[in-house]
Amino acid sequence: MYTNIKQIRNIGISAHIDSGKTTLTERILYLTKRIHKIHEVRGKDGVGATMDSMALEKERGITIASAATYCEWGKNEINIIDTPGHVDFTIEVERALRVLDGAIMVLCAVGGVQSQSITVDQQMKRYNVPCIAFINKCDRSGADPFRVIDQLKEKLGHNAVPLQIPIGLEADHKGVVDLISMKALYFEGQFGDTVREDGIPESLVESAGQRREELIEAAAMFSDELTELALEDQAVPEDLLIDALRTGALRRELTPVFMGSAYKNKGVQPLLDGVSRYLPSPVDVENVALDIDNDETPVKLSCSTDAPLVALAFKLEDGKYGQLTYIRVYQGELKKGDTAVNVRTGQSVKFGRVVRMHADQMEEIERIPAGYIGAFFGIDCVSGDSFTSKNKKLSMTSMYIPKPVISLAIQANDIKSETNMAKALNRFTKEDPTFTTSMNEETGDTLISGMGELHLEVYLERMRREYNAAITVGEPRVAYRETITRQSAFDYIHKKQTGGAGQFGRVAGFIEPCAEEEFVFDDKISGGVIPTHFIPACEKGFRECLTKGPAFKYPVTGIKVTINDGASHSVDSSEMAFKAAARGAFLQAYNKAAPVLLEPVMKVVVETPSEFQGTVMGTLTQRRGIIVGSQDEGASSIIEAQVPLAEMFGYTTVLRSLTQGKAQFTMEFFAYKQVPQSIAEEIVKNNEKATKTGT
Amino acid sequence: MLKKSLIIRDPIKLLGLETDQTFQDKGCGAIFARAGVGKTALLVQLAINSLLQEKPVLHISLKDPVDKVDLWYKEVFQNITKLNDIGPSDRVWDEILPYRFIMAFESRAFSLKRLMGKIEELRSQEIFAPKLIMIDGFSITDADPAELDELKEFAWANGFIIWFTIRGHRGESQTPDAFSSKFLNQYGDFFDVILQLSPEKDQIQVKPLKKETANHPLLFLDPSTLLIREDRV
Repeated sequence: MYTNIKQIRNIGISAHIDSGKTTLTERILYLTKRIHKIHEVRGKDGVGATMDSMALEKERGITIASAATYCEWGKNEINIIDTPGHVDFTIEVERALRVLDGAIMVLCAVGGVQSQSITVDQQMKRYNVPCIAFINKCDRSGADPFRVIDQLKEKLGHNAVPLQIPIGLEADHKGVVDLISMKALYFEGQFGDTVREDGIPESLVESAGQRREELIEAAAMFSDELTELALEDQAVPEDLLIDALRTGALRRELTPVFMGSAYKNKGVQPLLDGVSRYLPSPVDVENVALDIDNDETPVKLSCSTDAPLVALAFKLEDGKYGQLTYIRVYQGELKKGDTAVNVRTGQSVKFGRVVRMHADQMEEIERIPAGYIGAFFGIDCVSGDSFTSKNKKLSMTSMYIPKPVISLAIQANDIKSETNMAKALNRFTKEDPTFTTSMNEETGDTLISGMGELHLEVYLERMRREYNAAITVGEPRVAYRETITRQSAFDYIHKKQTGGAGQFGRVAGFIEPCAEEEFVFDDKISGGVIPTHFIPACEKGFRECLTKGPAFKYPVTGIKVTINDGASHSVDSSEMAFKAAARGAFLQAYNKAAPVLLEPVMKVVVETPSEFQGTVMGTLTQRRGIIVGSQDEGASSIIEAQVPLAEMFGYTTVLRSLTQGKAQFTMEFFAYKQVPQSIAEEIVKNNEKATKTGT
Repeated sequence: MLKKSLIIRDPIKLLGLETDQTFQDKGCGAIFARAGVGKTALLVQLAINSLLQEKPVLHISLKDPVDKVDLWYKEVFQNITKLNDIGPSDRVWDEILPYRFIMAFESRAFSLKRLMGKIEELRSQEIFAPKLIMIDGFSITDADPAELDELKEFAWANGFIIWFTIRGHRGESQTPDAFSSKFLNQYGDFFDVILQLSPEKDQIQVKPLKKETANHPLLFLDPSTLLIREDRV
């Protein structure tokens, strides 16, 4: 254990939903002897895949939380994070990519590059994660791995280079030809445990030769020595070819492509070899932290166990023994019994139990050295916290966190459920920064907010199952906002004389739209007409008005306030008076500034058989959607549209029934856009009605 | 008001090519050039001109996915707004977007017949009724002449203007002039208008290939923005 850091691989398995990544992970765990039996995702044995540790995941056949595990392949130790495929859980994918050094991108040989693959690819680019591709399901009817490779090039801009060609496709899929060793590989035994090498079948000799030439040509871009050998038409040694491919892959300038069928146990062992050969070890990756004491200056981290500790908590789970925190150590060593500082809270913490996770089972360990992923128990922290040695205040760069776009009002049915619901919400909000809770002041309901319907549904299910909370759920609510569309001036005097000390403050200036920021306050007061110490009170007064807009009663965004004149009184002016004056000024100017209602608009991508293309487009335009375009791929079609979230509730059912269950869609937040006037009026009316009836 | 101020130089009007009434609301046009000269950029400018006049545009791409075509539009639109110095233009973009529909096809899944079927479907289901159809990346030399004629009839019957980009090969043994005259011989009757993009020294001239009217301005594509620029003769 912990032999050589160069042999560690921290990888993620990312892909579109239903590409078979959980099945692939299961095969990897079996072949690396971490498990001794294979359970299918929706298998008849009712056990479910090992990585889908939550009961809900087992039932739905989807992977929600990233379960971390490790395995050994040859001399390499591989830490795997199995990531969710649905876009609603993208924060999980983002977190996984933040802590990983490399990734396997799983693609379906039939479906090809689908919408979620594009999202995941963008995330990989953002975190500069090198990847290899695995084209799965080569045994399926309609499988065409070379079409998928073309799509990788065209749609994702990858320099995708196949390292294998399939021996047979669809029902005839028997194995692969390895273009590096130029041998045919067959996978024998009940679970494909034994790899039998053989000569290339006669029918494939020519195409294998041609593909190998293309492979050498692509690899030669990363090795002068290889270029020379290729030009002189000399034999290319395997090691040299592998080194050149590795260089290209680590720079993200080349994507090695593997293929097979995880379900039929074909092609998994060469993929594992590929992980060792072409994905980086922690020392190949440059990680940077921010020095909190030094104006957040970026500090390059060294992957040495002797350096001070820097570690990032990237996932929390509620375990049998309290909070389980998954952690990636970037520098130094996290030892059982050691103390460290949580950079966010400044508190010292002691690591009591340190473990290594294998789905929902664990193994006690003494230490987690730099480059490794592990977990600890019993420390209260939130996802994204950094832990460092006492004398260093280094924080890992903050993760990009999208804002929630949908809310649901929930109510516990009894007192016991209320306590359980509170416990659950406390846990979930710590685990998932895109899931938030708040209180509706008017109705007293608890509001949960997240990234989509499915996102919230899953947490509701977890509350019911894991926390035994009986909950009544209200209608989903869209997170509307309001803004102004033109400049408007204010000049407001707040004056009160009702016995005792009076109140006086005058503020003048204007408000105007500001697309770039949520709120900007510009102080242009000269000559001290408003004393400097009252200016923050003015800002606070304006800021307080933003929580509930005067026009539609939604939060106000995209507004700039400039104050350029005012007046004060030596006795009667106070912070309170200027705050009140600012509030009055805001109300005075706001309605003249042509306020409009904004709604979240989602990027919706529907994948459908071409025969339903028109029907699907119809459903989107009926929902006030703008169709950006469609990608026609013969038998199937991908439609991209921008649709208001308010119109998307229940779309899953509609789509399913109109397409005989053959179409699927993903949805992610795109932008806030203005609500058409007639609909805005209807929303206001409904809100007024709801306030009157108290719902 | 803002939209009107953005309407760019229309090469068809500037070159006097719409005077014979054939190309005002229906007909077929081609943008002819070798690879990498700016065919798509000019095509997108013509499309944006139409969008700004609220005339729906169907953009067919056989080479780029939807996202990439969308990027072309965004970039050309930004260049136009910069050139006209109109400040934030998000609202105009939001207003013109519903008039645009991009359809990307895998080349092997594409045929003119299939395209006509798709357009019919969009129109009959009242999803989208284009006035201008842009076809980018189609190899006209591989097309069935009967299907081409059918498409032209389809355009005339329904009142569409269809623009094609035509790629003249860089590696052809013929000179560019010989290649364009060969193209003209072969397809001159099919197209009502043919614009050739011709790189000359450090600029790209937009020349009418089929017929030249007297006293028209010289049109160029600005090498940095690829927007149309005019210089009087």
